[in-house]
Amino acid sequence: MDDKVRVAEQQDLDTLESLREADADLRLPAVVEPVAYPLETLTPVARQQTPAVGQRAPRPDGRLHGLGQTKYIDDMTFPDMIHAKVLRAGIASARIISIDVSEAEAMPGVLATLVGKEIPVNSYGPSIQDQPLLADEFVRHAGDGVAAVAAVSEQIAKDALAKIKVEYEPIEPVFDPLEAIKEDSIKVHPTASNIYASKIVKKGDVEKAFAESAHIFEDQYRTQMVEHVPMEPHASIAMWDANERVSLWSSLGRITLGRADMARVLNMPVNRVRMIATIVGGNFGGKNELTTEPVLALLSKKTGRPVKGVYSREDEFISSTTRHPFIMDYKTGVSAEGKILARKVRLILDGGAYCSWSETTLGKACILSPGPYNIPNVHIEAYVTYTNKTMTGAMRGFGAPQVCFAYESQMDDIARKLGIDPLEIRMMNAFEEFADSPTGQVLESVVVKDSLKIAADRFGWKENG
Amino acid sequence: MTDVTLTVNGKERSASVPPETTLLEMLRSKLNLTGAKLGCDVGDCGACTVLVAGKSVNACLMLAVQANGRDVLTIEGLATAEAFHPLQKTFEELASLQCGFCGPGIILSAKTLLDENPDPTVQEIKDALAGNLCRCTGYTKILEGVVDAARIMNGKQDAA
Amino acid sequence: MRAFDYIAPDSTESVVAALAAHSPNARLLGGGTDLIVDLKHTSNTPKVLVDVSQVEDFHGIEMTDRGLRIGSMVTHTEIMKSEIIQKELPAMVDAAHTVGAVQTRNLGTLGGNLVTCVPSMDSGPTLLALDALVTIAGPKGSRQITLEEFFVGPRKTCLEPDEVLVDIIIPKENVGKPTHFLKFGLRKGQALALVNAAASFHVGDGNIFSAPRIALGAVAPVVMRATKAEDFLAGKEITEANMAEAGEIAVTEIKPITDFRASKEYRRELVAVFTRRCLAGAYALHQSRA
Ligand SMILES: Cc1cc2nc3c(=O)[nH]c(=O)nc-3n(C[C@H](O)[C@H](O)[C@H](O)COP(=O)(O)OP(=O)(O)OC[C@H]3O[C@@H](n4cnc5c(N)ncnc54)[C@H](O)[C@@H]3O)c2cc1C
Repeated sequence: MDDKVRVAEQQDLDTLESLREADADLRLPAVVEPVAYPLETLTPVARQQTPAVGQRAPRPDGRLHGLGQTKYIDDMTFPDMIHAKVLRAGIASARIISIDVSEAEAMPGVLATLVGKEIPVNSYGPSIQDQPLLADEFVRHAGDGVAAVAAVSEQIAKDALAKIKVEYEPIEPVFDPLEAIKEDSIKVHPTASNIYASKIVKKGDVEKAFAESAHIFEDQYRTQMVEHVPMEPHASIAMWDANERVSLWSSLGRITLGRADMARVLNMPVNRVRMIATIVGGNFGGKNELTTEPVLALLSKKTGRPVKGVYSREDEFISSTTRHPFIMDYKTGVSAEGKILARKVRLILDGGAYCSWSETTLGKACILSPGPYNIPNVHIEAYVTYTNKTMTGAMRGFGAPQVCFAYESQMDDIARKLGIDPLEIRMMNAFEEFADSPTGQVLESVVVKDSLKIAADRFGWKENG
Repeated sequence: MTDVTLTVNGKERSASVPPETTLLEMLRSKLNLTGAKLGCDVGDCGACTVLVAGKSVNACLMLAVQANGRDVLTIEGLATAEAFHPLQKTFEELASLQCGFCGPGIILSAKTLLDENPDPTVQEIKDALAGNLCRCTGYTKILEGVVDAARIMNGKQDAA
Repeated sequence: MRAFDYIAPDSTESVVAALAAHSPNARLLGGGTDLIVDLKHTSNTPKVLVDVSQVEDFHGIEMTDRGLRIGSMVTHTEIMKSEIIQKELPAMVDAAHTVGAVQTRNLGTLGGNLVTCVPSMDSGPTLLALDALVTIAGPKGSRQITLEEFFVGPRKTCLEPDEVLVDIIIPKENVGKPTHFLKFGLRKGQALALVNAAASFHVGDGNIFSAPRIALGAVAPVVMRATKAEDFLAGKEITEANMAEAGEIAVTEIKPITDFRASKEYRRELVAVFTRRCLAGAYALHQSRA
């Protein structure tokens, strides 16, 4: 018995060694000598601007925009191209019992249909792969796609959607994030909790500082869901070729990530996926992940035709990502003079049905939530929860605008209560050079106070205030 | 099928289309003039704006056959081989457009305004562009672009 | 859009004949700013669209011996540019100006706006405040009714499927009547009214309200008159207090709903303020003319 093992080990070793040798044999001689350079890296010096700053630089795309010559996805066409449309569930939470596409497929002009079960790996997402491309078992928000149709015209594809029969068993939905985070709440996914990401930041001792504060302010702030509404709706064209390679022209902003995700969901090597970036007609964070690209790819595979899919404005609103609504509890302890001594923040982010870029949003919101102020004692807790609503994801600022609304609103309340000028209280508390951020980062090039001062001078704060 | 003949950007163009074809569809898919865009498909966003008989319309709400026999100007017909339209110049210089999707519609709406009112106030410009949405810019550079174009057209400033 | 046939008759008679041949499977097409939007979202497509926007009889704005005649296919832009309307009824210019945006006003027509008959229609209040009449043509000839009778319910007029709206007439005695229109939307352009309102009256001897009219939109199933407020004003002296009182009375007459644009409470507040301001605006117009 032992002998056998030894033999095997021996063999393994040999194989490995020989492989190494083979590798050395195969190594090509270097064509180019490596460039020698000193190990010093370039360190940008703060506030020492490069000569380019302050110079006028025309946008390279500006002229074509004005001439109407910029080509977006929907301006492109290929021979024999067909059009795809996605059927949206229209129900917030349900189990799918059956999907019958036979009548749609029988319609003249319809070339193919696709349901979730036909997608090799029917899940994706930039951090958690919790989202199906087409819902196959459960619908988790009304904008979930459940089936797709490719037809010779958009209108026929649309008409065919009406012929698809989906049987649902409704499940009670949960919409309110405060309900969703409760232990006994309805679960959107088969997880123990609807909270799928959280973060805690601590600095100093808030409770002690609250006890020492002259004033305590406690408020709740809420922000709403916001859709990016890019002028150009999501659009892409997929072309599956005879060599089992797929080319995609997409309005996606992150093509490298999209390409990797494509390979994953189609279960094919990444070198068979070609992603071609085009001019994007507005992104704002809403075009940072795949939407229907793999669906179009599979429809193209089925039909042997290039397939174009353009979101309708309705699709855009109900099924693309949106900005997270926040529920923000702020407790702030302030000295008699108006110095902020402690701040406790609790953020509940409504993530909607799928994770998308929630983790990024959560992290950034968390770090920025105390505001650009010197606060020695900070406690931040943030949670993002699933609800049966349109999923939320990246949008300009990744959570920064929401928390800014909260801390600046509270700042004004504090100023009013203490009878301090709102500008003054900010100058009193704002970060300075080498300030310590809540996460312990030493900040450089801090110009909060200068910016505030210049802005106040420009719009005549003193005179008008 | 209906035969539709339009004078598009000065040239007579015909196509045979089903009656339910919108002017936008005909321009984009039959005449390959893709400057006018489909943004909302219900007349709210103005990305499909073209001029029919000199008046701005939402090409997504007009049937191609309703424009039969009329003059249509699309963004592609605004510049000549000799010169850009002043709006195209100022928009480029000021970087009035970012993603550019709303640009063709905005420039055409602004053109009709300047044709009728060569010296508009900022409020008048805003009113004239109310039917054209832009999500990138916040409109400031667009308004400046129209103001500058008006100046050029009134000879108050060289078309540098 | 789904397939349909298209015809474009050039006279009232041929429109009526086309309707007789095709109704109820025909729809009339004006500027299309309501209808084409609907057709993109419905599965209930008509067989034939009868384009009435080219019919000569449905165009033109002119004084006749009955009053000011406005063709049903006159666009909102044409109303804004009409010299006679600018001079006699600037409230109509203001109302037309608030419809959508330039592109919508270049296509959209007065007739289309009235026939669509949504509670928030912007041309309704002013015309109602001016006792406007409408001319309808059909297989049995033509008839004339008041605009108030024309509006039946939300998205419903008294038009039969084989009838067509020919023109709108503002009675002679009301051409030039001091009138004022106001609209409140969430934005200045491209926004439907949370509330819109119009008021008109003649200034009687002794500075009294004579033939006062108050019309309100988006606060009931159809654009409505606030007749109690009108009755209150009739014969009373023109004062700010009376205007404000009329506003309070008008609030008791409306039946606003809460929807995504505004709550019914907010609409009530708006009606009180807008009624007063419309009356004040009409009076200011009278004074500026004197
Ligand atoms: C972006 C946008 C913004 C808008 N904003 C506003 C606004 O702020 N305020 C507002 O009031 N409206 C608004 N509208 C609605 C619309 O523009 C107006 O109601 C317009 O006046 C409709 O006229 P039309 O000629 O386009 O009607 P169409 O769409 O052609 O027709 C409307 C209806 O009238 C019928 N019809 C047309 N002509 C006749 C006729 N002669 N006889 C009988 N029936 C007829 C049609 O069959 C149809 O049912 C807006 C629309 C859009 C697209």
